[in-house]
This record gives sequence, structure tokens and C-alpha cells, in this order.
Amino acid sequence: MLSRVAASFYWLSRYIERSDGMLRMLKINYASSQDTIQEFTWAPVIRIFAGSGDEETERLENDSRAVLKHMVTGKENPNSIINIITLSRENARGVQEHIPKDLWQCLNEYYHTVKDPKIEKSLQREDPIGVLDVLIKQVMLYYGTAEITMERGEGRSFMNIGKYLERAIQSVDILDIKFGSVSDNPDLLTDTSYWKHLLQSIGGYELYLKTYREGFEAGNILEQVVLNNDFPRSVIYSVNNIQRYFDRLKNNSNMDDFRELSFQIGRLQSKIKYSSVKSIEQDGLHQYLTQIRKDLYGIGNALNEHYFANS
Amino acid sequence: MQESGYFDKYSPISGVWDEMYGADANVRDHYRKVIEYISGESADDLNKKEELAKRLFMSQGITFTVYNSGEGIEKIFPFDIIPRIITADEWTFVERGIKQRLTALNLFLKDVYHNQFIIKDGIVPIDIIYSCPHFLREMYQLQVPYDIYVHISGIDIIRDYDGTFYVLEDNLRTPSGVSYMLENREITKRLFPDLLPQCGVRSVTEYPTILYKNLLALSPRQIPNPTIVLLSPGIYNSAYFEHTTLARLMGVELVEGRDLVVNNHKVFMKTTTGLQQVDVIYRRVDDEYLDPLVFNPSSMLGVAGIMGAYRKGNVAIVNAIGTGVADDKAVYVYVPDMIRYYLNEEPILKNVPTHQLGNADERAHVFENINKMVIKKTNGSGGYGMLMGHAASEQEIEEYKIEVMKDPRNFIGQPTISLSSAPCYMQGELQPRRIDLRPYALYGPDGIEIVPGGLTRVALKEGSLVVNSSQGGGSKDTWVLA
Repeated sequence: MLSRVAASFYWLSRYIERSDGMLRMLKINYASSQDTIQEFTWAPVIRIFAGSGDEETERLENDSRAVLKHMVTGKENPNSIINIITLSRENARGVQEHIPKDLWQCLNEYYHTVKDPKIEKSLQREDPIGVLDVLIKQVMLYYGTAEITMERGEGRSFMNIGKYLERAIQSVDILDIKFGSVSDNPDLLTDTSYWKHLLQSIGGYELYLKTYREGFEAGNILEQVVLNNDFPRSVIYSVNNIQRYFDRLKNNSNMDDFRELSFQIGRLQSKIKYSSVKSIEQDGLHQYLTQIRKDLYGIGNALNEHYFANS
Repeated sequence: MQESGYFDKYSPISGVWDEMYGADANVRDHYRKVIEYISGESADDLNKKEELAKRLFMSQGITFTVYNSGEGIEKIFPFDIIPRIITADEWTFVERGIKQRLTALNLFLKDVYHNQFIIKDGIVPIDIIYSCPHFLREMYQLQVPYDIYVHISGIDIIRDYDGTFYVLEDNLRTPSGVSYMLENREITKRLFPDLLPQCGVRSVTEYPTILYKNLLALSPRQIPNPTIVLLSPGIYNSAYFEHTTLARLMGVELVEGRDLVVNNHKVFMKTTTGLQQVDVIYRRVDDEYLDPLVFNPSSMLGVAGIMGAYRKGNVAIVNAIGTGVADDKAVYVYVPDMIRYYLNEEPILKNVPTHQLGNADERAHVFENINKMVIKKTNGSGGYGMLMGHAASEQEIEEYKIEVMKDPRNFIGQPTISLSSAPCYMQGELQPRRIDLRPYALYGPDGIEIVPGGLTRVALKEGSLVVNSSQGGGSKDTWVLA
């Protein structure tokens, strides 16, 4: 497979996964902004997904409609849904003859849906949850179509590596910022709705209720989001999948390249596997997450160098 | 036959050959079945078909992007739902004409890049050749496989008021539009169920198969599975959709310049497992951008060193480099003479009478009759930079003349040909619009093959004679009857 094609698979998939995470996060945060008597702040969401400076964050943080506009249809925000879906589609166009026509059409429709001026209008004037649901549905269609039509080959492996790498980075970022806010403001520690919204925004609320009977506790949440093998958005689940799909590239790889990546992924996997809530808290959560993030970026860079010919 | 409302209301343009409307004010035989079919459909039904066609083009991403103030806008190439129909006899004639012309043009290319007999014998003046920017010294004395230069051509054909076929221009570099020939047919199958077999329309689906067979035959390495690639300038190119379609239909790799490297006069592509040697390149990148070491040094679309690999014979490039000298509009004038010189035959397809503005007498004649003339740049394309004398203002004409006088060699004048018309579906009725025809000819070691069909371009603006997509043109499905 051409290096450029492999890179396009990887990036088109990373952008889709990012849009999925963002849309869910926006939806739950908007809902919770309607359900509070205090002034609701969007600052964590803006910091996780838009990488905005302090000034911009301050300008936007209390204005839900402005945040939605900035995050979904904002052309000047490089990480807005519209911009990342445009990039995803451009990557897909670059590999159009390698992906099933159905999948291309699906992505193309997602793009045209976001581009539709009606979306921006509805976000400003109507019920934003309805709009976000329409977009989330496009992502789900994409995942369903990919699952059914994508050839089980190299291309799909690169797509899935991108998807799970993106997801792992997201989960790490979300935890880091949400727990960071708690250490700034210890009152949040006992704020039930704070934790509930965090779990809902990553789709882990129901699993949490089934697993833990004693209400919301920071340690339990940490355990679920980092260490639970069965939670599809946990860091360990994502890293296991990176390893799983990378392994399938073995027969299509140059052995030296394969060994290098395999080593890095395996090292990260063990690091997480042999942690516990207790050991993480001893090390300091922020330090722990920072190290994992660094390793995840390292895997991305190594792919770039060894597989995408971008050294 | 039951005459339809659509046909009754049709008023052809006087003094213009209409493909459907015969001299006796009746439907020509070959259009009869289609007219009968659409008579059974209400304007509502036809509007729905038109909508369906648009939706199919859009959802399949058969679009080109127009970049406006930094923002890409997706547009579809306008499509008219009524097919353009060509009879078996007309097709046989056109096919013979193109084969003859292409054979001569290909011999001409071999000649100008080797012994130049045609210049020495005084048939084509030497200054016309050497002043052509597409005549490339780099090709001199270079042996190309099977002596084929023009593997793929799209010769534009038009019809005058009496139905006579003329060649308007020879596109011998990287002609585009063939994907529309294929996609328009796919869409027509959906719009008019059962109609194609009833009318006996010949299939065009063989095109990618023939092209692939020809590419395969060119591989310099005699190995079971040579690597064939399609080199595209990338996703921002307006014909990118076509590049992906062809790559997909032939099952070859689509590459960009940055995917290729040259080492030791061999071309390789960068893959996840290392470098893989490339044998045949179907390039959709112009000569000028192909190799920054030899041609335009600022090109990011090409591959450094590819010309060296080509000269060594380690890679085949399709079309050959330097074919632009044969479709230069100043050289066009001499094509009938080439046919006589190389083949000892009379040309089957006529040239449009053409005046070279480099010649003072001819220039005076063209300027005197400028209202009946079209002036074009000799190496222009896409309908840019031409002057339609009958439609231009005094001021435009004066400005254009100044432009011509800067370098008269770069301009030609032709009498305005009135292009034939065909019915188009416009707001609930049929209206005549001007059309041309571009059949695609494939030249391989087994000879020249032309799939029965081509791209019919149509000037959708009322009264317009310019069919280029950049100037408000669209296309139609093109039927050749068995």
C-alpha cells in the first residue's frame, strides 16, 4: 500500500472519531447548561477540543450558542466539526479508489450535511440537540457502513489504529481537564451532576451504574475510564485495539519498522495494564496522564516515520 | 406515429443542422423512439428525472470544486437528460476519419522528433514547429515503445449547417472528460429504464478494459504483474474525480508526484513496505510540470528525474511527452497535408478553414471580416482567451487586436462555424442548443480502437456557441446506434 494512502486512511478516521467525541460532548454539555441555576461554564470543553487561548475561552465560556457556533460551524476554528470533516473528506477523496463507494458516499453526505447553511441557522435559533443528533447519526452511519463494507485488509487496520489512537487521546484529555478542575475547586468532588455529565458525555453512565453501587466516586470513575477492559472509551480498551490492529499489519510490514512500533505499543499497553487506581493516585494523576499522552503521541510519530514516509 | 407535445412545440434554429429535427419538419428516424418515450412522460416526470440526475451526481461526488474566496464550492457539471443520438452510418464515417487522422498525427510526431522529413520536404514550415512551446528538444531521437506517442486522444468534432463533420481541434496531450462519457451512461440507465436496449445503443463500458490492456503492453520489464499507476496532480485538480474513476475501473494505483521517487534512473513508489518499482505511468500531469529538473523547476506536481528514467526506457509514460506540438492550433492547419504526405490518402474528416495570423495577408483578411471570425490562441484550451467576432463589442475587438499584434504567431482565425443543435430539456419543454462531440480514441500495439460514444458537450445558454464547461457548457449522454 502507498504510504500516502495509509496516512490518508489513518487521518480520515482520526477526524471522524474526533467529531464523534466532540458532538457527544457538546450535546451533554448543552443539556446540562439547561439544567443548572449557577452560571454554566464551557471552559473545559473549549480547552479539550478547540485548543483555544485564555482570551478566547473567556470570551466564549458562558455563551452556549456562541460556543456551539464556534465548535460546529466555526470556519476560523481549525478544530470545528466543519473543518475536520472537510479534512476527513479530503483524505477520503485522496483514497477514493481504495474505499467502498458506499463509504465514500456516506462521508460525502456527512460533509454536505455539515455544510448546509440550515445547520448553522438551526444551531442559533432552534433546538441545538436536534441538530447535534442529526450529525451524530451521520457518524453512526459512517461507522455502520465501514463495519459492513470495508475490506478486512491493510487499509482498515490503519483506519482502526487512527480511530483508537484518537479515542485514547480524547479520553486522556477529558480526564486530565475534568480532574484538573476538581483539584482547583474541591467542591466539585461531591457534585453528583458533575460526574454524571462527565460519564454521559463519553457514553459510560449506564455501565457505571451497573458496576458501582455506591454513587459517584472519583476513584471509581478513574478506574472505569482508564482501566476497564470492557468500556469502549477507556484508555486500556483503545490501546488494546491499537495493538490488535497493528498486529495485523505484520505480514505487510518491513520487519524493522514493525518491531519498533510493536515495542512502543506493547510498552504502553503494559504500563496501563499493570496500574491500579491506587498506584495512579500515588504517582499523581496528572503526571500519569501526561506520560500516557506522550506515549500515544510517540506512537503517532513513529507511524509517521516508519509507515507514512514522512520522516 | 403519435406526435408529442414536446416535439410540436420544438422550434429549431434556422440555418442550423438539428440532430433531431429533419428537413421535412419531422423527427429523424433515429430520434423517434426517444421522442415517443418522453411523450409518455409529463413535464413533472421529466423534472423528477432531472432532479434524480442531479442528486446522483452530487451524492456520488461527481463534482468539481470551484475555489472562491478560500472556500471550496462543489459544483456538478450540468447534465441534460435528453441523449444525443448518432446513427451507425454517421459513426462509421467519424470512426474512419479519426483513425486516419490519428495515424497521420502519430507518424508526424515520430517524424518531427527524428528525421524531420516533413520539414525537409517543405510540407510544414520549420518556424511553425520550432516556435511551438510544446515542441520539446528533450524528446529528440528518443525511441518510444511501438512508436506510439498518442495513446489517448479526444478529437473534437462539430457539424456545420449542412451536417458535414469537421474537426475543430485535436486534443493529444491529456484529454479529459471520458469519465463523463461513462457516468452519463450510468445515469441514463437509471433515468430511462429499458430504453437503451430498445433503441439498440452500443455499450461504452469497454473503455477502461481496452486502456488497461494497452498500458499493460507497454511495460518495459517483461514480468507477470508490472506496476501501472495513474499520476494525478491531486485532489485539488478539477478532473480529480475522473482520475479516481479511471484508477478504480482499471484497478491501478492512483499516485501523486510526492508518492514517487527516482533512483538510479528507475521510478519507484513509496509504500508501507518500502519502495516498489513502477513500470507504466498514465499521467494526467502536463509535460511542463512532469519533471522539475528538466521543465518547470518550481513544479511540485512532478517527479525529479523522471525524464531521465523515461529516456533510459525504464518507464513508459502515457501519453508520450511532447505530443503538444501536434495539437498546436498553428500546426492544425497542416494536418490534411500530413494525411496526404504520410498516408497518400485524402482526408476523410475536414478541417475548419483556418488563417494563421502570423501571416500578414491572412491577418488582414481576418481583421477585415472580424465579425464572421473566431480568433483563438494556438496553445489555449478550455475556451479561455478567444474572441467570438459576431458577439464582441468594438472595444473588445480593438483590445484583442492589440493583444494579437504582440505575437501574431500565437493566434489563428477561423470563420464562425454554426455548430449543429440538439434538443435539450429546459423548463418543461425541448429547446435546441448547440453541441459538439469528443470521441475517445485509444492507440495501442493492436491498433486504434474507439469506443462507440464519447462526450457530447452542449452550450446550455441560449444562442451560445461555446460548449466549454468553464463557459456555461454542460454534457449529454451520447448514443451510437448499432
